[in-house]
Amino acid sequence: MGVALDKLPGIVERFPGGSVAITRLDQAINLARSNSLWPLMFGTKCCAIEMLMATGASHHDLSRFGAEVARASVRQADLMVIAGAIVKKMAPRMRLLYEQMAEPRYVIATGSCAISGGPFMYNSYTVVRGADEIIPVDVYVPGCPPRPEAFFWGLLTLQKMIREGETIRAPGIRKKPVLAALPEDVSIHDIRREIRSALVDENIIDIEKAAREKPWAQKVRAWIRRVSSH
Amino acid sequence: MSVQVRTLDDLLHAPLDADSELTTQEYLVNMGPQHPIAHGSLRVVLRLDGETVKHVIPVPGYVHRGVEKMCEHLTYRQIIPYTDRLDYLSAIMNNWAVAKTVEKAANIPTNERIDTIRTIMSELQRLQSHALWWGVTGMDLGAYTAFLYGFREREIIGEIFEETIGARLTMNYIQPGGLMYDIKPDFAQKVKNLLPYLKGCIEQYETLLSGNVIFQERLRNIGILDGKHAIALGCTGPVLRASGVPYDLRAVEPYGVYDKVNFNVVVGEVGDCWDRYYVRLEEMRESVRIVEQLIDNIPEGPHATIRYNEEIILPEGLHYGQVETARGVFGVFIASDGKNKCPIRLHFRSPNFNNLWIVTAIASGWRIADFISIQSSLDLVIPDIDR
Repeated sequence: MGVALDKLPGIVERFPGGSVAITRLDQAINLARSNSLWPLMFGTKCCAIEMLMATGASHHDLSRFGAEVARASVRQADLMVIAGAIVKKMAPRMRLLYEQMAEPRYVIATGSCAISGGPFMYNSYTVVRGADEIIPVDVYVPGCPPRPEAFFWGLLTLQKMIREGETIRAPGIRKKPVLAALPEDVSIHDIRREIRSALVDENIIDIEKAAREKPWAQKVRAWIRRVSSH
Repeated sequence: MSVQVRTLDDLLHAPLDADSELTTQEYLVNMGPQHPIAHGSLRVVLRLDGETVKHVIPVPGYVHRGVEKMCEHLTYRQIIPYTDRLDYLSAIMNNWAVAKTVEKAANIPTNERIDTIRTIMSELQRLQSHALWWGVTGMDLGAYTAFLYGFREREIIGEIFEETIGARLTMNYIQPGGLMYDIKPDFAQKVKNLLPYLKGCIEQYETLLSGNVIFQERLRNIGILDGKHAIALGCTGPVLRASGVPYDLRAVEPYGVYDKVNFNVVVGEVGDCWDRYYVRLEEMRESVRIVEQLIDNIPEGPHATIRYNEEIILPEGLHYGQVETARGVFGVFIASDGKNKCPIRLHFRSPNFNNLWIVTAIASGWRIADFISIQSSLDLVIPDIDR
């Protein structure tokens, strides 16, 4: 229990005066879930080589994050890594695979094809512009293809989200999924707080007031003042 | 074995000859598009009698992105990144096919340095591609260890690509009239240090997998394709050479500096899965030999003969160029009207498309488990089939 108490301050608490530790069951389950994600073997294109094969091999070693148990059957998997472009013929199949997965289920979209259509966004008559038009996506990992390290960052982001009990399906918490490539000093907490405040302020946004507060607006006003005084 | 053109409907309703006196029921099994053997998203419908495969009906199109149609709106330089995303394991060689066609049509010169670096990079990529194939074949047939070893070499060669090109998979390296970037000063030394190691790795592959009795039993005398039918079905690359046809574009129609190096065209004898396996292993040895001969004297010179922003307009007419990728002959067919900087029509002749359809001819009569060996020995990359 000593390790748990050191590593999880706030989640596991020592009972005063005794050797009993208490925690919330939700948090304990989320912690267990986040560290045993079983990805589905589902790759359509180049990203599958990088996301599912190169990461699974010994050089990058996905098993450091407890997610190396790639399952060929959807019924045993709880993480779907969309690696590659989804075309219109594939879209119903992907939806079916997603529906067959047992809950809780998570989705990571890797590569520009799965995020927005990527290089096939213009002029292609078959590619679905983003996998999130078909199924809800939790984390996006940009790149064409992303490096395995970028995929790990996306996986860690997902683990963090699971530990905090929020996913794309938890209502009222987030409007949009998070990009995996967060800057150093920005955490999930910041984004969550910002989106919450945005939701609160949604109905009282004064566009003119907001524009007036922008630095470029002050410059423009100063310029107008200078021009009109002449 | 007979080869005749039959429609999907014919195959589904053809009379079934039971191979035993017991009453068996005919049924159809759907493999893919999400299946570990699919190597991406290939769908195959198997028409079975018991466990015996009667007909194999491939259903491609689950990653059809319409690249050829998109290329009609792209300039020749812009087409190059899209060829990376066809057969992504032979990205550099695909780039070379477009560059070669455009250079030949528009009379863009190259120099000795460009050709040498192109050849070295292509052979390194062939090694990388075959290493991945070796690992994946092992994994398909139940040897997960092979996968780990195959990827070990892939990462090591990938580091050299990363340093020179900046990409791990989609290279976008060979351009019409040159290369995207020049090589680094220590490139030759790094490759030279790598070659003895790779040789040792290939020997290790032999001891790890080739001698395994189970592995041999699953490959030997399975899915035999003879040379006559291989030519008739239009298959190329190691699949064709395993059937005993010594057709290798690098030898019969040399491009780059392949006419200045010594290498053997590896051919098989029987044309079974084992030959297709062993031809690829031998090809890895030949690739190491080719790089060994070239790496010591890379000529000096510029790495591009034209500016990158120079407008390329091909003369009016039909242009075709082809190279030997890790899987066979990759051809580019361009129709130009002589006025626009984009092609008016473009077609990629992809090796995997032809190699896929031989399963309809050779997989009948084998068990489902043998079908896995056959498909694995063909080394298919599905986005190259669907384009």
